Amino acid sequence: MADDDYNDVDMGYEDEPPEPEIEEGAEEELENNNEDAPDDVVGAEGEEKDQEKTQRARKTSKYMTKYERARILGTRALQISMNAPVMVELEGETDPLEIAMKELRARKIPFTIRRYLPDGSYEDWGVDELIVEDSWKRQVGGG
Amino acid sequence: MARPEERLRCTKEPFIEDVGTRRIKSIRFSMFSGNEVRQSAEAQVWNSRIYDQDMRPVPNGLLDTRMGAANKLGECTTCHGSFAECPGHFGYLKLVLPVFNVGFFNCILDVLKCICKRCSRVLLMEKDRREFLKKMRNPKADPLQKSAIMKKVRDKCKLSRCPWCGFINGVVKKGKAGLIILHDCSKTLDGSAEQIRSALSHKKEKISISAIRMLDAATVLFLFRRMIDEDCKLLNLGDRPEKLIVTEIAVPPVPIRPSVFVAGGRMSNEDSITVILKSIANTNSILKETLQTGGQFTKCYECWQLLQLQVVEYINSDSPSLSDSQHRGLVQRLKGKTGRFRGNLSGKRTEYTGRTVISPDPNLRITEVAIPILMARVLTYPERVSYYNIEKLRQCIRNGPHKHPGANFIIQPDGTKLHLKYCDRRIAARDLKYGCVVERHLEDGDIVLFNRQPSLHRMSIMSHRARIMPWRTLRFNESVCNPYNADFDGDEMNLHVPQTEEARTEALMLMGVQNNLCTPKNGEILVASTQDFLTSSFLVTRKDNFYDRSSFTLLCSYLGDAMENIDLPTPALIKPIELWTGKQLFSVLVRPNASTKVGKTTLGNGNKDGMFSVLVRDYNSHAAASCMNRLAKFSARFIGNHGFSIGVDDVQPGEHLNQQKKKKIDEGYKECHDLIASYSKGALTLQPGCNAAQTLELKITGVLNQIRATAGNVCMDTLHWRNSPLIMSQSGSKGSPINISQMVACVGQQSVGGRRAPNGFIDRTLPHFPINSKTPAAKGFVANSFYTGLTATEFFFHTMGGREGLVDTAVKTAETGYMSRRLMKGLEDLSVFYDQTVRNASGGIVQFLYGDDGMDPAKMEGKDGKPLNLDQLFMKVMATCPQRGHDTLSPGEILQILNDKLSEHDASSDDGCSEKFKQLLTKFLEDRIQLLKNTRRSLHLDEDRVGKKDASIEECIAANISGISAKQLQVFLDTCLSRYHSKKIEAGASIGAIGAQSIGEPGTQMTLKTFHFAGVASMNVTLGVPRIKEIINASKKISTPIITAELLSGKDVLSARIVKGSMEKAVLGEVSESIKIVLKSSQPNLVVKLDMQRIEALHMGISADSVQLSILNHPKIKLKSEHVRVIDKAKLRIYPAGIDKCKLQYELHNLKSMLPKVIVKGIPTVERAVINKIGDRYNLLVEGTNLLAVMGTPGVDAMKTKSNHIMEVNRTLGIEAARKSIIDEIQYTMKSHGMNIDLRHMMLLADLMTYKGEILGITRYGIAKMKSSVLMLASFEKTAEHLFNASYSGREDQIEGVSECIIMGIPMQLGTGILKVRQRLDYLPEFKYQPDPILS
Repeated sequence: MADDDYNDVDMGYEDEPPEPEIEEGAEEELENNNEDAPDDVVGAEGEEKDQEKTQRARKTSKYMTKYERARILGTRALQISMNAPVMVELEGETDPLEIAMKELRARKIPFTIRRYLPDGSYEDWGVDELIVEDSWKRQVGGG
Repeated sequence: MARPEERLRCTKEPFIEDVGTRRIKSIRFSMFSGNEVRQSAEAQVWNSRIYDQDMRPVPNGLLDTRMGAANKLGECTTCHGSFAECPGHFGYLKLVLPVFNVGFFNCILDVLKCICKRCSRVLLMEKDRREFLKKMRNPKADPLQKSAIMKKVRDKCKLSRCPWCGFINGVVKKGKAGLIILHDCSKTLDGSAEQIRSALSHKKEKISISAIRMLDAATVLFLFRRMIDEDCKLLNLGDRPEKLIVTEIAVPPVPIRPSVFVAGGRMSNEDSITVILKSIANTNSILKETLQTGGQFTKCYECWQLLQLQVVEYINSDSPSLSDSQHRGLVQRLKGKTGRFRGNLSGKRTEYTGRTVISPDPNLRITEVAIPILMARVLTYPERVSYYNIEKLRQCIRNGPHKHPGANFIIQPDGTKLHLKYCDRRIAARDLKYGCVVERHLEDGDIVLFNRQPSLHRMSIMSHRARIMPWRTLRFNESVCNPYNADFDGDEMNLHVPQTEEARTEALMLMGVQNNLCTPKNGEILVASTQDFLTSSFLVTRKDNFYDRSSFTLLCSYLGDAMENIDLPTPALIKPIELWTGKQLFSVLVRPNASTKVGKTTLGNGNKDGMFSVLVRDYNSHAAASCMNRLAKFSARFIGNHGFSIGVDDVQPGEHLNQQKKKKIDEGYKECHDLIASYSKGALTLQPGCNAAQTLELKITGVLNQIRATAGNVCMDTLHWRNSPLIMSQSGSKGSPINISQMVACVGQQSVGGRRAPNGFIDRTLPHFPINSKTPAAKGFVANSFYTGLTATEFFFHTMGGREGLVDTAVKTAETGYMSRRLMKGLEDLSVFYDQTVRNASGGIVQFLYGDDGMDPAKMEGKDGKPLNLDQLFMKVMATCPQRGHDTLSPGEILQILNDKLSEHDASSDDGCSEKFKQLLTKFLEDRIQLLKNTRRSLHLDEDRVGKKDASIEECIAANISGISAKQLQVFLDTCLSRYHSKKIEAGASIGAIGAQSIGEPGTQMTLKTFHFAGVASMNVTLGVPRIKEIINASKKISTPIITAELLSGKDVLSARIVKGSMEKAVLGEVSESIKIVLKSSQPNLVVKLDMQRIEALHMGISADSVQLSILNHPKIKLKSEHVRVIDKAKLRIYPAGIDKCKLQYELHNLKSMLPKVIVKGIPTVERAVINKIGDRYNLLVEGTNLLAVMGTPGVDAMKTKSNHIMEVNRTLGIEAARKSIIDEIQYTMKSHGMNIDLRHMMLLADLMTYKGEILGITRYGIAKMKSSVLMLASFEKTAEHLFNASYSGREDQIEGVSECIIMGIPMQLGTGILKVRQRLDYLPEFKYQPDPILS
């Protein structure tokens, strides 16, 4: 990550640079995981999916699975560890994972989950639309 | 030396478009032609010398520097990379004459069989050819079908005369020695051979002609080159056939066959491949020279053959055409456990790993593992510097690699790595910037993976939180021993440190100890208190234990780290002094600030109603975990002060026990002697289906076991309650009553192979006993206890039994290991998709809904895989939501509410719940209603209408006893439904792997004891690992096939006997009084007289007519109906068929010996049938096969008749019945070993075995039919074969399964890989240049 250009920035919020950082994280996601989706039309994709959303009702479960939760928290924790702007007010948390969990609890994680059905079609669910069980809440403390 | 490229460096970098990372989507297998080999090579190899005098690689030799560096000193002259950088380049070796490729030898044979040996066209008529071609070109045909068509084509190509050119073709076959193909026309030549032979015979010199020609590689190559493309397609060739023959050898890059200098650099050790290639190059040059100088033909030919064999050795040094080879060929590098596929591609070595001895520490939390500082200084985690951690990381850098919370490396944003040992750490710390990565030491709270081999199930590797501690062992809470199956007798365990934020998150969320408290095998709790924890809980909670304020508060303080606030409960006794019971301590333990003897059933693993299970289900895993922590801390401290030990006096039997034992043993011995006496007199009443000896064994074993059992009971009764072994056994921490009674009272019968000790000497076990002695002592009964000591013979018998146990353990590990591996390979890629279907990686549906109800087996609460334990839940609702004056409901209202709720629920967006669950719920509430009615009836109230609660006292009582208020019912139903939904299996779950582990893991615990009694004493059924193996392999022949036949009139013994009689086979010899030869002058014959009394008695229904029929139908006896004459009901006369007088005597005797073996009655495949009594009904256990005939036997209820032979069930009843019977059989086998496995795993396995429409075993043949991936099959078994076949037919492997993804290093489409995460952009672009408002 060649991010030398904002070494002088004390803590993020005065300058633009944090933005490309995040975009890069997002793009990395796409490259790693999407075989068929076009690489760099994230914005255009959004409209498409909106259309699809209105077209037909989504039929997968409205609960977030533990795999989705793990994946989202992992990705978000990685972003936060790379100095992405945090979406919630912090109360002294420093562990990226802990911050990610707090964001998820506040439903502030800016992700969409793309659930693929076996026929290749997919459904998009925003993280804030899904119901998250709260049994994982106190995982970070380790008990 | 300056590199040439440096001198010629371009001023501009060439533009290479950055397309980002790419994913391999599929792999196509094919072959290289000689041309392609040449083109991809950097150098030609022809020199057979490797090094010159100065030990420099010879140009055009095998270690030519253009092919890469041979060792650390060398450098590649093609890319100028060092040994570490350059992956190497191929070379080529041109062969003078072509040779066969062993891997393709069978394919070459097949192709040759199909083509004309002159014009190279396929030996098929045009019509057939077109038809097959059409089938082959069908785009829907999968590779398996194609190879089946290819086989058909091969079988069809039997034309002896080529339809295209008229050439006469013979049979193509493999030569006897070496790789030789023979073309044998001797059978197909028409007359011309005779002509030639006769023409030749006139010649003087002897010329033998042979119609057998040899097809050498050059000829074959010529033939193959002329084949047309259409014919290639027809033969399922993915490519041109000439590529099957080697003309050029691709010489592999030098780095994969490194050369090692020895003896001070004067000699070198070469890799096997280099050695073989060297000899190939040598032979090749000799052959070339001989050919050029025009040497003798035989000499050339021998040389060619030698070259052929050397090329064979190069490819496969284990090939049968080689006598023996010292070297490892290419195939040997790939295959086997340590080969490339299994050793390097499917399983890789990792960094950031540690391993040491483990030891216990009850003061750790169950989620923690203590890591020695020594280890923590080596294992690092790369942490990226950010605002939050920069100061911490600076301190770490200052500490450096040798002081614990330190760091080893700094990775700058430009990728340079800085070792902190060799730099100024102060400066490094000062210059630390955001975006750097610091490889810091492991610290408290880091996430690590902890693992113990054998990793039989997913709980064998879990993620813990690190706790850095002094000393040298890995430590963890004893409660976590169970999932790892660890003890502390010197076990070692492994530790891995996940290196990215994503990896740690996934490890924590999915593999954390807290999230794996329950096993998915059956939903029982696995992480639970063990050993000392149980003992001390038991001691504390004795009924007569009371604690005064000081000691109770002391005990309470043991619970935590003195950090918790504790509310003391109200004392159980107040006067004369405040006293608390031990059980109250547990209330404190569950709820420190606010809340039975307790033993294994409450605290231990392997149950679903224990305290921890309830905590996990009703609260959450965190609550259970913290209670376990408290209990662990408490009991370690308590038992340390209380003291608990065991000594000889604990196992001393009392006087009473000694007398009792002596009495019992004397009685038992007497009984045995009586039995033996009656046996030798022959007066023993036989048990069904047993002979006298078996009956005696059975009875004696029964008596002896009785002795042990009673002695044990007496011993347990007489032991003092303070006896340590007794306490341990009762609390369930260690040892069983049998162990105690063996120490105190009597060791009991020793068995070998499920029987009493066998005879090692002639007719006796040991020479200390008389011959044929069957007394208890002579057959291995140990009357002494371990305390009193064993006699010499007893000791010997004991070692015999002990050895069997050891052998069993040794054998079964290998056996079950292989079984687990096969199961895993078969089931690895099955997972739940977002539409709730279970599919394999290529999208083939295996189940429409997992386990028929889509529930997660790990979360099942009830027995037998029921989703909820309704009783317990109901009680909880009743307790937490009291009636408080609300009116109770009448039975009708209850049902009404239930139905409303269910239908409302079905209509709502959640998918509703399964029929089974609805039934369960309805049934439960109906039972409650019945209870309510009963209460009301006994209180003389109206059963169906419920009055006001305060109407009368009786109403009030009824309401209190079993009334349910509307609120309660509502809460109950809501809890049920919401809990039901939280127990659904989640999309992405790799159900296949879990299922494979759940079936494989219990296999290791099954003792290999094969036989077991199934209902009837004499009926043995294969059980244990061998039986599971039979089922999983889908064996065609099983060792104990048994058909359970229900009877139409099951209560009638007589009818059972009749049915039994009609099923068991009876031969003529058994039912006839006599078979005599009658020699009369007119016509000698045989007279058979039937034993009608016996036939009547056994209800066999045999008459002379039926016997006549069966004699006529016998395949060996060739008689016609006029030869067998029925004289009367019980008499037959049989005349021999031949009229030849001289053979008459012989014929008669022959008949006489054959006739008694004629089956006159019953099913030939049935060995025997046994009548079995269950309750008041009888059924038949039929030993043998032929289910169809048994079902067709009159008197058998075909609808309820079952067989344990799965293949036969499939044949007679179809695939669905077979599926059911697989499930039932596995379930039965597991049950009879006391193993409880969720039905859903068995269903999945059965579905996988049957979903193709035929039964596929989990063997290499079955799996090859289930899976389409070449890589997966190659990584399983028969690596080389799969690879060669794939490249022959040009198969393509979509990288979608688990094995393929691992081999290619790609994330797989399971678990967290099933979805894609996308950044939502509409949130981001707005950047606020001020802090967020506090209130928004």
